[in-house]
Amino acid sequence: MNLFRSEEHLRRWLDANGYEAGATLTANRLWLLAEAWWGDRLAPDWLPHTRDQNQAILQGLGLTAEFWQLP
Amino acid sequence: MNELDLGVRRHVYRRFVELGRAPTLAELRDELGLDDVEVELRRLHEAHALVLEPGSGEIRMANPFSAVPTPYRVEAGGRSWYANCAWDAFGIPAALHVEGHVTAACPDCREPLEIDLGGSHEGPTPDDQIFHVLVPAAHWWDDIVFT
Repeated sequence: MNLFRSEEHLRRWLDANGYEAGATLTANRLWLLAEAWWGDRLAPDWLPHTRDQNQAILQGLGLTAEFWQLP
Repeated sequence: MNELDLGVRRHVYRRFVELGRAPTLAELRDELGLDDVEVELRRLHEAHALVLEPGSGEIRMANPFSAVPTPYRVEAGGRSWYANCAWDAFGIPAALHVEGHVTAACPDCREPLEIDLGGSHEGPTPDDQIFHVLVPAAHWWDDIVFT
């Protein structure tokens, strides 16, 4: 899960390593995802997220494609 | 996950934040007064609450924090940590609820990426980077280090 300078840099890296493209997000959407996913991680009353809670976080950001379906 | 599991996990995270690195098995054994701390950490590993090194049983990840150096370095609140990946790098200021600075390098060209986020910045500044996830979500935990 990496950050690239641009789509062009990502494409070059995928080609150089023989990888198929996965999914991309803008940095702003990554920040929203990070806040939702990690925001409670240090809370004293933290409890593990269920699979459905995590899926709801992804869904809330519009990440509904098969690629984002948790096991 | 029972109360003991949650308490040990909470302690691990608190020490990771304080130290800027993972607490060692020896430190955890002393601090928690648990002779079988390895067994407890293994339970947390199996619950995906943290990740252990395969051989030594030391902590490798307490996501979003990394116990080993990575290309993602995060400074926040006067301290710094390594993050496991770009998502985790953004996750450290998010988890701490403070302003942070991420230093990384584009995997293609190795040019440095310097990003401020959280706190007064709210979103990332600058915000023109592209985040890429190679592995589909169904397989993230097949090999979490690669993911």
